[in-house]
Amino acid sequence: MNVAKILEQRRIQWQELEQLCDAMEMRGRTGRTSKAQHQGAAGVSRFATLYRAACADLALADSYHLPPGTVAYLHRLVARAHSQLYRSNRFDPSVWFDILFYQAPQQIFADPCVRVATLLFFGLFTLSMVLGANDDWFPGFADAVVGNQQLEAMEQMYDQPLFSVDNQTSSLDHYISMSGFYIMHNTGIGLRCFAWGILIIPCLFTLAQNAVILGASFGYMARDGVGGSDNFFHFVTAHGPFELTAIALAAAAGLRIGVGWFSTGGLTRLDSIKRSATRSVPIITASVTLFVLAAFTEGFISPSPLPYLFKAGWAIASSALISFYFVVLGFPRAVADQTLVSEQD
Amino acid sequence: MPAAAALDTTIAVVTPENIAFEYQLAGPFRRLPAYLIDVIARWIIMAAVILGMWIVGGMIRMSALQAYMLAATFLLYFVFTNFYGTLMESYFNGKTIGKWACGIRVVGTDGGPIDFRQALLRNLIRIADLAPYVVLNDVNEEIPPIFFLPVGVVGLVTMLCTRRMQRLGDLACGTMVIVDERNWELPVSKIEDPRVAALASYLPADYRFSRSMSRTLAVYVERRQYLTPARRREIARKLTTPLMDQFDFRPDIDPDLLMLALYHRNFLWNEGDDSADLSALNGFSPLAKDQSAEEPPIAAAVSESVTPVSALSPAATTQDAASEPAG
Repeated sequence: MNVAKILEQRRIQWQELEQLCDAMEMRGRTGRTSKAQHQGAAGVSRFATLYRAACADLALADSYHLPPGTVAYLHRLVARAHSQLYRSNRFDPSVWFDILFYQAPQQIFADPCVRVATLLFFGLFTLSMVLGANDDWFPGFADAVVGNQQLEAMEQMYDQPLFSVDNQTSSLDHYISMSGFYIMHNTGIGLRCFAWGILIIPCLFTLAQNAVILGASFGYMARDGVGGSDNFFHFVTAHGPFELTAIALAAAAGLRIGVGWFSTGGLTRLDSIKRSATRSVPIITASVTLFVLAAFTEGFISPSPLPYLFKAGWAIASSALISFYFVVLGFPRAVADQTLVSEQD
Repeated sequence: MPAAAALDTTIAVVTPENIAFEYQLAGPFRRLPAYLIDVIARWIIMAAVILGMWIVGGMIRMSALQAYMLAATFLLYFVFTNFYGTLMESYFNGKTIGKWACGIRVVGTDGGPIDFRQALLRNLIRIADLAPYVVLNDVNEEIPPIFFLPVGVVGLVTMLCTRRMQRLGDLACGTMVIVDERNWELPVSKIEDPRVAALASYLPADYRFSRSMSRTLAVYVERRQYLTPARRREIARKLTTPLMDQFDFRPDIDPDLLMLALYHRNFLWNEGDDSADLSALNGFSPLAKDQSAEEPPIAAAVSESVTPVSALSPAATTQDAASEPAG
């Protein structure tokens, strides 16, 4: 058998496949610049034909006695065409709707990690808020946790009213730009909690640290005689429920991954990590959604001149919404159980 | 050949077409530069977008917009630092700017493409992979305590410990980073020495090449240009000595030339093509029964006669094809 002749015949098709790959690698499809038979449906069909032919050549390479260099070339060619044929899927809204409104609440309701993270976060938050608020009983707690400079800066920042008739643009501007900063900062904390979750301990540490600092700041601002405390609560009330829940959820999603290291359920550790990461995706999606809702609240409602009653009402409504989402949508249902089980196992 | 586990960094993947093909894994020394390029690219893009935004805002000259633009700047910074990799990888088929520059790509461990979910997970978990962080004000009291320098030991260690060189983020979402070859040359050896075809015609017509024999011949001819003539003979002799007995050839034939003849017979021979030009041998017969007193011209060292040519240029292809029967 003359291998050189076989190569000669096949090489024409391989080169054509390479040309198609060249064109597709740039934009994900063959452009107008390429040949007529490479465009549109004809191009797709031609690509599929050539790819199958190359696959067959690779499979037959051994019986053709192709030289190793040629086989290596074919491996690369098939891999290249393969990654064009099966391209990465872009954002699919319907899948994400399912994750957000179906999988996430079920997962959150059933997941012990969520309970641990929520208890830890809100427990420490409440505790340090109480400690920070009572300077007579626990002197110097807020100073020790947050730092004197930080507290003074915060006090100064909220000293100017949210909205005043004579100076409306400047102070509103201040809060709008600060809300951008807070979105970045708080969502950043949430995402860091999530990422650290795979190592568990840094996640718990970050979560606890932020709970204590936030709680102490809240407690400090709630003290009598602290400047700007009205403005502070005016500002944080509306987006508080969304944002704090989102941080706790992000940490819970992270912990869910980390728990996979030792709660393997009979799988190998790597498979277990992979499975628990898959299970954490709905939780982190819910968390990100809450962060987005918090961001909109923080950008448009918190710094706005709306009355405090409205903002408090918004906070209550958002808490109710979160409860509805977690409990009513998340309450275990027989049908839901089956799908969840089949998906997880 | 026994299916031993490969010692190098290739990984086999079975596709839905039931084809097993190989990817070459990208290790830390390819991934680190890609990451650094990404960091720089991220800053450049961010700076360009924000600068453009402020220039446009300056032209509109609405002072009320200023606060919103400051907020938008913070948001842009946030999105770019956290979701740059996610967006790039899911929209550009597993590549970011840095990965594109370094010729690497993210794929699933099954060889398939990554989806948005995987891209999101592996990029968010990067924070844990870059750990531990060095606090710079430990080194120098002057530096404010906000600068943390990632060391990346966690990712490095997991990369070294896993078979597919995955960091934590890769482990969690089942991805790996592979080398995306961009060098498309089909190595084909051609033999120019006219004595090779003539010698090949003396090989028994019923000799059958085994698979391992074919592979050995191909590897030898591909590698032979990097060896000195003495080394070639030393290597070839191991294989040709038993063959010379089998074919009843003279023992003083150059082993390298015999290897080339075997290669020619195996890969370049046409069925029913026996019209080899024997004049190149100058009346010399390699068979042991024809051994005479004359000096064998064939024992002389063969000079650089095998050149790999690129299959991509049509000129080389036609020349390649034309030179075979002539040889």
